Amino acid sequence: MSDMDRTDPGGPDGASVVEVKTAATAALIPTIRAVASDLAARADFDLDAISDLRMAVDEACATLVDIAAPGSSLRCAFSVHDERIGVEAEVDVAAPDTTVSTDTFGWRVLQTLADEVELVGAKDNGRPTIGIKLDKRAAALPR
Amino acid sequence: MLDPAPESSGRAGALSATLSSPAPDVRLLTVAGEVDTLTAPRLADGLTGLLDDERSTPVVDLADVSFLASSGLAVLIHAAHRATGQGRALHLVATSRAVTRPLEITGSDRLFEMHSGLEEVLTGGGSGPAPRGAD
Repeated sequence: MSDMDRTDPGGPDGASVVEVKTAATAALIPTIRAVASDLAARADFDLDAISDLRMAVDEACATLVDIAAPGSSLRCAFSVHDERIGVEAEVDVAAPDTTVSTDTFGWRVLQTLADEVELVGAKDNGRPTIGIKLDKRAAALPR
Repeated sequence: MLDPAPESSGRAGALSATLSSPAPDVRLLTVAGEVDTLTAPRLADGLTGLLDDERSTPVVDLADVSFLASSGLAVLIHAAHRATGQGRALHLVATSRAVTRPLEITGSDRLFEMHSGLEEVLTGGGSGPAPRGAD
């Protein structure tokens, strides 16, 4: 149900890009957050930042799986830069007016964990999609 | 600790939550595994059972929890409020970063009596005043 592509370095601005695609089901999110954690550790993120990224990716994916169209895939792309990792997670949704509620505990936690969070609505080959983009720096802010 | 036999709840089997009484006035919920959207309901069930017993000091041992998502945090926070409503504190044993970091970064650690080991609870130490019920 899941496949992973590790592409060569050479994405925009020299980032290494890793894409994970799974069925949009909560049962496969542990796999995606493990990838996030592994990439952050290899990129020398500090331990708090690794923990934050793993939790942020989990939260973003769980949010999207909740609203995904039946049978949709969950696509999660990681861009590993020198001092930060960018994440773009996306699912297909059944109705074009599907939205993510940002007035939730989970969304507030996501905003706390990530340095940047953005909700993205788009169309992929005419199908409506919803995505969450987030950015995490290698050194976590002390709290 | 005792690990319950595999149950027929599919992929949520990655979490166990076991109730025990390590001391006459202490009720303990030992949690092991990953707490996420799939497994948080099992944690919630365990916490409900823990707090249904209003006569003992409620303790949750999260030392063997390797991941805590916001869904798990929400369940813990709900339990903390329930305990407060009962006039007592909910004690958490948290040692791993996977648990302490989410609690600290969201500020929710303030809702609990935090401990770095189970012995600390059983001998009455901790981050705040001794709970009622220790009489």
